[in-house]
Amino acid sequence: METLLTPAFVTALLFGAVTAGVPLLLAGLGEQVSEKAGVLNIGIEGMMLAGAYAGFVAAYYSGSFLAGFVAGGLGGAGVAALMALFCVRLGMNQIVIGIALTLGAEGLTALLHHFQFSRSYPRLDAAPALALPGLAEIPIVGPALFSHHWLVYLAVLLVPLLAWVFRRTHLGLNLEAAGQMPAALDAAGIGVLATRTFAVLATGFLAGMGGAYMANVGAGLFVPFMTGGAGFMGIVLAMLARGRPSWVLVGSIVFGLSLSLTTAFQVAGVNVPTDVVQMLPFLMVMLMLVLFARHSGLPPALGLPYVRGSR
Amino acid sequence: MKTNKRQLLGLAAGALALGLNVGIGAASAAEVTKIAVMVPEQGTDFGWNQQGVDAARIVAERFGLEFVPAEGLGYGDVRPTLRELADEGASLIIAHASGYNTAAPEIAVEKNVAVAIVDAPGSIKPGLVADYTLSGHQGAYLGGHLAATMSRTGTVGIVVSGEPPSWNSQSAAFALGAKAAKADIKIVYAVIGPAAYGDAAGGRRVTEQVIAAGADIVFGQGNGSSFGMIQAVETTKAVDGGKAWFIDVIGDKSTIDKGHLLSSVLWNMVPVYTAMVNDLKAGTFGTKAYTIGLADNSVALLKTKYIPQDIWDGIWGMRQQIIDGSLKVEEIYDAQAVRALMTSVSAQE
Repeated sequence: METLLTPAFVTALLFGAVTAGVPLLLAGLGEQVSEKAGVLNIGIEGMMLAGAYAGFVAAYYSGSFLAGFVAGGLGGAGVAALMALFCVRLGMNQIVIGIALTLGAEGLTALLHHFQFSRSYPRLDAAPALALPGLAEIPIVGPALFSHHWLVYLAVLLVPLLAWVFRRTHLGLNLEAAGQMPAALDAAGIGVLATRTFAVLATGFLAGMGGAYMANVGAGLFVPFMTGGAGFMGIVLAMLARGRPSWVLVGSIVFGLSLSLTTAFQVAGVNVPTDVVQMLPFLMVMLMLVLFARHSGLPPALGLPYVRGSR
Repeated sequence: MKTNKRQLLGLAAGALALGLNVGIGAASAAEVTKIAVMVPEQGTDFGWNQQGVDAARIVAERFGLEFVPAEGLGYGDVRPTLRELADEGASLIIAHASGYNTAAPEIAVEKNVAVAIVDAPGSIKPGLVADYTLSGHQGAYLGGHLAATMSRTGTVGIVVSGEPPSWNSQSAAFALGAKAAKADIKIVYAVIGPAAYGDAAGGRRVTEQVIAAGADIVFGQGNGSSFGMIQAVETTKAVDGGKAWFIDVIGDKSTIDKGHLLSSVLWNMVPVYTAMVNDLKAGTFGTKAYTIGLADNSVALLKTKYIPQDIWDGIWGMRQQIIDGSLKVEEIYDAQAVRALMTSVSAQE
């Protein structure tokens, strides 16, 4: 326990929680946009992976983390465009297409990595940190919570921004209507397909940024299949959040902290089997599902293609 | 005449049967024509997957066999791949992942094809299933000795991507070697996840925390996740403000090192696969365990320029002691027993 209590270790623990939580936050917020509009975006794992690959390639060749994150977002949006084409425009099954896109992205990025990087495994330098004046100097928690790459702050700022968009803007109302009662939206003269397409593309962009963060900041490199189910965790968080971005933030923090705690318990010598310790993040999610899933309040039109005039 | 015809027919049938028998016998002795290897990730990871694929390729070339690599298969159900390889005429399928050791013996029986599996010595079946639960524990012991000798902080770390027997025995040997060098050395042990072999971000996060807990030398065992560990070592300073070091396993990452690779416990699987092919030819496949060790250089500790010569000389002397048997390195495969050796993780009751 003596080791656990060192300031450096506690700082590393909290820092790790933030690093692990940010990709989930971006993916969860993205999924929330999509689900609000009535599209169950199962392909978000593939969007994250495409974003991770594209983001790493851009950051590695340009030397710019900004370019990496933009490319990551575009990579995710690229996969999302396929989702929009097949599911929104052509009305195909969202679950089947989502799984297919994830598998396709896994295969394609693994193949590209094989030809490009499998003999060299290039790695980026440490991501530049933006220390928030005053806050970053707070002992222990300062460097852990207030000295991160700017994308972390942007991800957190997205939470109130999205909440405002959902509640106070026409765009938010359109998204909500596309998921709740698409025929009414159509009757009001707003294109349901256009609204859903926008939502899916936005989801892809955010998920891609999350993947790029995981590759460029979290790992500092790209390896095949590296998202390891983070996209699916994002779907769970979005469903549990019941349309509230702040709940996605809470869920991401809980999951990130749980992941970090698994190491802390091991290092501290807590007398429970390691396997049990490592179940902690998933137990937390299951607990949240049991407690809140009954009231998840999913949009009635979620997963259903919209065809004008159909009943 | 009838009798003569019958006798002739009988003689011909007997000769045919004898000829077939001889032919079949000769065929079974020389029927090793194609060798296949299955790995969960790409065979370019400078580690477990690459060593398996490269070794199988070398052995195939050495024996003049057709070589079929099946890479990036993941950790799911590989039965379809096994069946396909068997149907394509593979004489030996090397199922190079502990996750394959349930499916491969099943298909061996179903398709009557020889398979080699890892981490399941209880599953061997003469003529069909061989196990090669390899352990570089002798090399890991030397690595632990090296780490404890060179550690500035008095704390070394072990980060693993899972707890398969091969990793466990090396973790244990590393801890034993470190304690042999310095009785009061602290060892921080952390598992990234139940099977986090490709979790590079997790590897980096956990390694950073282990370094923050005081370790300045980290012994890392993972596949894709080991690149995350290396990234952590390259971008994180030790608690004393100095450089953190990495000791790798199985492969040699010197060519992609940025100045933090202290050493590696190298494995060479060519002798093992060679023995398998010889056993197939001799009809003794699946009757014995295959091992690797320092004596035939199938296990070795990588010498880098960062290891001072006097320390290396000491390590080399210890290597000789292990080879001649005057120094025994205990083989510990059980995860609970491994944790009992660590300073940071106590044994489970």
